[in-house]
Amino acid sequence: MWTGANDFDRMFDAMDLFRSRLNRMFVGYDGPYGENFGWRVANGSPRTNFYDTGEAFELLAELPGMSKEDITIRIQGNYLELSGKRTSDAPKDYKAQRVERDVTSFTRSFTLPGDVNADKIKAVLKDGLLSLVLPKAEAAKPKQISIS
Amino acid sequence: MNENTELTTRKAEMLEKRQELPRITPVVDIYENEDEILLFADMPGVAKEHVTVHVDNGKLEISGTRKVEKKGASSWEEFGAVEYRRVFSVPQSLDVAKVNAELKEGVLRLHLPKAEAAKPRTIKITAH
Repeated sequence: MWTGANDFDRMFDAMDLFRSRLNRMFVGYDGPYGENFGWRVANGSPRTNFYDTGEAFELLAELPGMSKEDITIRIQGNYLELSGKRTSDAPKDYKAQRVERDVTSFTRSFTLPGDVNADKIKAVLKDGLLSLVLPKAEAAKPKQISIS
Repeated sequence: MNENTELTTRKAEMLEKRQELPRITPVVDIYENEDEILLFADMPGVAKEHVTVHVDNGKLEISGTRKVEKKGASSWEEFGAVEYRRVFSVPQSLDVAKVNAELKEGVLRLHLPKAEAAKPRTIKITAH
């Protein structure tokens, strides 16, 4: 029974692949393709992942080509604002053959699901990925309730 | 009864096999001057060890994989583990031995120097 379902899965995978190739043909022959190329979401902000590890919230954002000076992180209560700008890294005295990477600035704000300890927030930028660890305030941490 | 089971035997290496990582195309900038072609590609989250640059017979292939560590329960995920891959046609006249690549802040910078013979030359007219 299960191998049968698996076969269906694989058939649909093949069809999905075919469909995406077809889509690509119309979008542009040699342009970037894929369901989510580039590093930004539709409204011009970087893509992020958000996790809840129990002790802390963790935010991961794609910020290629930005140094830590280009990025501003602000927090007020449970309101987190991430902004940054990407400056042009175009070399001088070169002729541009193809320019797909944007020179932009962005601001993206988040409402955190709970209060955090703002003094203990850690931010690390590595390989164009920003990782933000926001330890939860005592009140927001999960608690085990013992039955009396 | 038909005892031939070969037809229904599925092989793991069949074409329709699930791809291990979703493949996306990195966005690139390409610049050129008389001495070299310069290529910038955005590959956020890719470590230096996971980038390959391959030049062969007029084809340049750049590829990089990234893993995204999942921590705890995810509230939302807009990106994940992917393989960035893109192939370009490049002139045969590149000096392949001198190609150099650097990775900084998630951006791959590739210097592709042109071979001496391919550089533009000014020809002097000599008077007779």
